[in-house]
This record gives sequence, structure tokens and C-alpha cells, in this order.
Amino acid sequence: MKVIIYSIQSVFRSLWREKWINLLTILSISIGLSLLTAFILLTLNMDSVIQRWAKNFGLVVYLNDDISAEEEAALKIMISEDSDITEIKYISKELALKELRMTLGSKAPILEGLNDNPLPSSYELNLRRDLLEPELVRKKAVQLQQMKGIEEVQYGEKWLSSLYTITRAMKIGAFFIGGAIFIAITFITYSTIKIFFYRRKDEIETLKLLGATRIFIRLPFLLDGLIIGLLGGIISSLAIYGMYSFTSLKVIEFLPSFRLFMASFPFQVYIIVPLAGAAVSVIGSYIAVGKIRY
Amino acid sequence: MIEFSNVTKYYDDDVVLKDVTLTIEKGELTFITGPSGAGKSTLLKLIYCDERPDKGQIMVAGWDIGKLRQNTIPFLRRNVGIVFQDFRLLLNRTVFDNVALALRIHYMNASTIREDVHAVLKEVKLGHKADTYPQHLSGGEQQRVVIARAMVAKPTVLLADEPTGNLDIDNSQIIMGLFREINARGTTVLIATHNHGLFHASGRRVFYLKNHTIEKEEIG
Repeated sequence: MKVIIYSIQSVFRSLWREKWINLLTILSISIGLSLLTAFILLTLNMDSVIQRWAKNFGLVVYLNDDISAEEEAALKIMISEDSDITEIKYISKELALKELRMTLGSKAPILEGLNDNPLPSSYELNLRRDLLEPELVRKKAVQLQQMKGIEEVQYGEKWLSSLYTITRAMKIGAFFIGGAIFIAITFITYSTIKIFFYRRKDEIETLKLLGATRIFIRLPFLLDGLIIGLLGGIISSLAIYGMYSFTSLKVIEFLPSFRLFMASFPFQVYIIVPLAGAAVSVIGSYIAVGKIRY
Repeated sequence: MIEFSNVTKYYDDDVVLKDVTLTIEKGELTFITGPSGAGKSTLLKLIYCDERPDKGQIMVAGWDIGKLRQNTIPFLRRNVGIVFQDFRLLLNRTVFDNVALALRIHYMNASTIREDVHAVLKEVKLGHKADTYPQHLSGGEQQRVVIARAMVAKPTVLLADEPTGNLDIDNSQIIMGLFREINARGTTVLIATHNHGLFHASGRRVFYLKNHTIEKEEIG
């Protein structure tokens, strides 16, 4: 406990003594974290848009015209027992024709010449969200296609493929940008603490000769890094909140319908960003102090 | 208290100490002397584990220096006060803070530190200079601050490496007086010096280092 009290006193002395370099480091960290958070929020919003689009994605299973009532009942049971399918909607031949008439609107009379209803009855199926990958959907379509009584399975293959590519690119982008920013923050803190460490080299040598333990020597530097990272994170959270609120207002002003797609600003960001800043800075500080040898 | 048994030390391929054997009893005040480069400083460094012996065994207050682990070294050094020729004072700290450093590493509370530091500064006749920065002190005063820092934590052993190397005769006498006082309280004191005046007619044991080994031992 006493080592912590001593270290905290030492850190506050150092924060004040080296205020300009500390301020510069805090601002650099907050800029880095702001960029990262902004990118994550952008990804969240894009993901929100994509998820809404994906919600409407489904497979249409067209039934054979000559399917018997027993076969149809058996098919319904098989589909409803499939755990990959979350929603089932049955479209009878009559309903399909009715929907077609509605879609055609004023041009519906062209259907008058038909003696029989040519449209097949069908099922509209929604799949589990984690299955919305081109390869998995294709496999499911093939599996359904092989069931007795099914004429054809259709789905937006190209659309799904594009959606999947966009989502994947965003995730990879977030990973690399996030990684790069984390490395940058670690390096910024590393450099600052390394400077402090070298400036206090004589003092550290004297402390070692007097019998100071490693924790006594190391802890002030780690706490310094922690406080720098924490402050950088807090500033970043506030800046991001301000920017997000401002941008949201401006976007909704011009595109009111966009409100539906906006992911809310997660409250956890206020906690996660400062903690992430502190954690990364402590890592940078730890590397900077290095191994203390007597 | 301090025991060297056939200790040899090399720096790269150069021998610095060769087959050194000596014993210093608890509460003794002894000197080690010899020409520059004879290995006096290395011998002291071996005692506070700044260097390790390549051969032989060194025991200091029950600690086997050759076998000490890195994380145990601080606890040995808390028992060994060191007075350096180049002072090693922190110029951005006051005299008080320089001395207090030796107690802060023991996590002592502020009021005890204040009392102990002021008491020891009085003993070295620097009570009035507590708030002064080292660069505003004379060489003799700086050395007294170093002695105060070395003795404030009440070590069992006190080592001094050329403590009067940069001082005039008057200051040297003052410094020697302080070492005698510290020794009188039971602290084992070992002084490395090439200043014969310090141990001449002192009645204390003197080890002569020559050609990297103890050439002779006699009473000064």
C-alpha cells in the first residue's frame, strides 16, 4: 500500500514537472483513440444497416405443381423442424396470384386471359443470421432442393455475396486499423516513458544502490503510463461523443430515414475507451522501463 | 561480518582481484589501501553486489554474494550504507530529499522520515542546509550529505570509496571523525583509500592491495 502511495506522489510530481511532454502524449493518445472509436462506430452503423438489409434476406422454395397434400404436410414438418430456419411463410398459389395482381396494379388485366393459375405455391424461409454466408446458404439451398416435392429454390445469390464481401472487408479493416492504432499508442507511451526513464537514470541508479526494490522503481512509471492513457481515453470519449452527436444530427437533418439505421452510441464506450487507453499505455510503459537489473 | 575466501574477479580477460582472502569482524573500522587500479573499488562493489565474484566466496552479514538472486539484492543493500567519492547526489532534490530517499525506499511514514533526516543532518552539522540543493554546497558538505544518506537507515555495514578523495585536510578530518562516530555505535565500517593520512596511527587494521591481491595486513 505504501509503495502505491509513494508512487502516486511521485507520479503527480512527474506529471507536473514534465507537463508539456505529458500533455502532448495525452493528446496524441486521445487522437489515436478517437480515430479508432470513430472507425468502430462507423463500422457499427454500417453493420446496423447491413443487419437490417440481411433481416429481409430469405430463400424462396417453390413447390411442385403436382405435390400431394400428404407430401406437402410432410414437407412442412421437415422445414419447420430445421433449426437453421427461423421464419417460415407459406404462400399458396392463390395468394401468389393475388400478390402478383397487386404488384402489377393497373396492368393486372393482362392476367385475365389465364385459364389456370400458373403460379406455384411456395415457402419463404428466413435463415439464422450466422448462416448468412454465401457458401452456407448455397449448401442449404442444395439441401432443400433435394427434398421431395420441391421444384426450385431461389435466393439473391449475388446480393448476398456482395453483402458478405462488404461486411468482411469492414471487419478486416477494423482489425488492421485497430491494431495499427493500438501499436501506435503503445509506441507513443513507450517513447514518453523511455524519455522519463532516461532523464531519471541517475536517480534510478542511486535508488538501486540504496536498496530500492524493482516495484519501487518501476511502479511510478507504470502509474504514469496508466494516468496518461486514462486521461487520453477520457478526452477521446468526450470528443467522440461530441462528434457523434453533431454528425448524427446533421445526417438526420438531410436524411431523416437514416435514423432507422443509426446504431445508438453505446454507453460502454465511455468506459471501454479510457480503460483500453490505460491498458495499452501501461503495456507501453512496461516495455519502456524494461528489465531492472542490479 | 564480511568474509572473502579466495575471491577472484575478472573484467573480461583482465584479472582485477586474485585469490583475495580477508575477514572483517562485526563492529570493526578497517581500511583498504593500494595504488589506483589495485582493485579497491571492485572489492567494495563485490560487497554490495554490484559485481559478482568469478571464483571464491563472499559472505556479508550472512548473505552469500555469489548466490544472491536479483530480487534479493535490494535487501542486502539496505544493510550496507555506501559513501561514494563522486557523491551521487540528486541535484534536483534538496539535501533533505536526498537523505530522505534512503528511508522512503523502506516505505517509512512521513513524520518518521522528517524526524530521522533532521536528526542525522544535525549529526553531520548540516541541519541548517536541509532545504539547500547539493550544487550550492561545498565538496566537504556534499560528502557529509552522502554520509548522512548512508547512515540514516542505520545499516550494519558502511562502505566508503575514497571518501576524502576530493577534500582538503580539514574536511578529511571532519569526515573521518564522522566515520569513527558511526563505528562507535556498532556499525562495521570499511574505507577504501589511498590517503595514508587517514589510517596513519589510527590503530585500525589496514589491508594493502597490490598486484590484485592482499599483499599485507597491518595495524595503521
